[in-house]
Amino acid sequence: MTGLILKDVLVLNKTMKTYILFLIFYFVMAIVGLFSIAFITAFVQIIVMILPISSFAYDEQAKWNRYAMTLPLGRRAVVRAKYLFALLMVLIAAAFALLSCVALSITAAEPVWENLATGLASLSVGLLAVDVTLPLNYKLGPERARPYLYAIIFIPVILMVLAARMGWLDHLEQLPSSLILPLLSLIPLVILLGLPVSYWISCRIVEQKEF
Amino acid sequence: MINSIEIQGLTKSYGDFALQDINLTLPGGAIMGLIGENGAGKTTLIKCILNLVRRDKGSITLMGMDNLRQERQAKEEIGVVLDECFFHDNLRPRDVGAILAPVYRENWDAGLYGDYLDKFQLPQNKLIKEFSRGMKMKLSLAAALAHRPKLLLLDEATAGLDPVVRDEILDEFLTFICDEEHSILISSHIISDLEKAADYITYLHGGRVVLSDAKDTILDSYGRVGCTAAQLEDIQKEDLVRVRRGTFGCEALVSDRAAFHRKYPGLLVEPIALEDLMLFIGKEKSK
Repeated sequence: MTGLILKDVLVLNKTMKTYILFLIFYFVMAIVGLFSIAFITAFVQIIVMILPISSFAYDEQAKWNRYAMTLPLGRRAVVRAKYLFALLMVLIAAAFALLSCVALSITAAEPVWENLATGLASLSVGLLAVDVTLPLNYKLGPERARPYLYAIIFIPVILMVLAARMGWLDHLEQLPSSLILPLLSLIPLVILLGLPVSYWISCRIVEQKEF
Repeated sequence: MINSIEIQGLTKSYGDFALQDINLTLPGGAIMGLIGENGAGKTTLIKCILNLVRRDKGSITLMGMDNLRQERQAKEEIGVVLDECFFHDNLRPRDVGAILAPVYRENWDAGLYGDYLDKFQLPQNKLIKEFSRGMKMKLSLAAALAHRPKLLLLDEATAGLDPVVRDEILDEFLTFICDEEHSILISSHIISDLEKAADYITYLHGGRVVLSDAKDTILDSYGRVGCTAAQLEDIQKEDLVRVRRGTFGCEALVSDRAAFHRKYPGLLVEPIALEDLMLFIGKEKSK
């Protein structure tokens, strides 16, 4: 299985290097005060969302899955490797977001907790995309699954805008922050718990699939 | 000795096409050529063996192991080269080795993999996208052989390759088969390659096995009879496998040349090449 994770890393090697260069650039810009930390938090979300899906597209192009099924690993191990790769991306992105928040709180006196909450929210959206799109990629293939990725990004935004317009969020500011933060931190937790469910669904899809 | 492949009563239906009641045995130390027209079911059969598709009925054992219940153990002993190279274009041969080493764990022989790359003149650090089709197939073969499998499954692995590369690959198969525990199942349209290398021939036609025997037995016993339409009428139907009627005469396929000659000494019966035999069965309706 480590071989399959290594395969994803090697295949996406160039893309990952480019993304890291972007992150370093945004980080330097944030340190010197030219860019906001929002650039970094938005970019870590892109990493978490895009890289696992890109790996599907590369696999599809090479018809890799048919070959992977001939290896002595079993179908579940092939799925597990993809989820572990996605988790690896989450860990790298989270480590960078954490590092940036702490560094900027020291150098630019940025509010560390607020930035961390933004980073966490950003990672959560990325992870939600992983939860939903990985089974869809197995079921539909990367081409047909792509519109769902856009839906995952835009539907929460549209819902939030609608909720704000309807005035449902008006009383949010009156809630004590001691209540809001634990509530908000539950969201990433729920999304993280969705990962095993998503994995189970993907396994079921792949077990039924013919290659 | 344990048979490398044993297939009994295999059935797989796709609605408009079905593999029907396939029975096949590949003994150890042998090469079996799988021939048949496009869509005859060769790839489906190989996919069933590898459990890439679900079969409807039947059983398959590989080196004595059930291909479903002991799938992983069986696949440890199998090398697979399918009709294309499945390694991503932006990988290099050294990457393929790094990926497959943890997959096969202690069975993976990095030295042997390197030897095959050298032998096939494949640069370790060159991107696969810069490889020719021949190089890609050689890379697939090196990757399939480096964990020292006992059984090689090859699906149109030599298709589209020039005769020199094909010959190199065939030589490799013959070297592989020197070990009595090793066997190869190879599907191919290039009948001349199979005539050169195969010990057994299985002919799939319309999802059924119409012929499966030792190659020498087939070549020694099958024959072609050339005759007139009037002569054809005098031959008993059960003595003929297939008949082809033309404007200038008739041809018939017989399964036992010697017996036919004894029974009809006035008719000329000639040996038949595998390709002609395939054309006879593939193009003509049953007698």
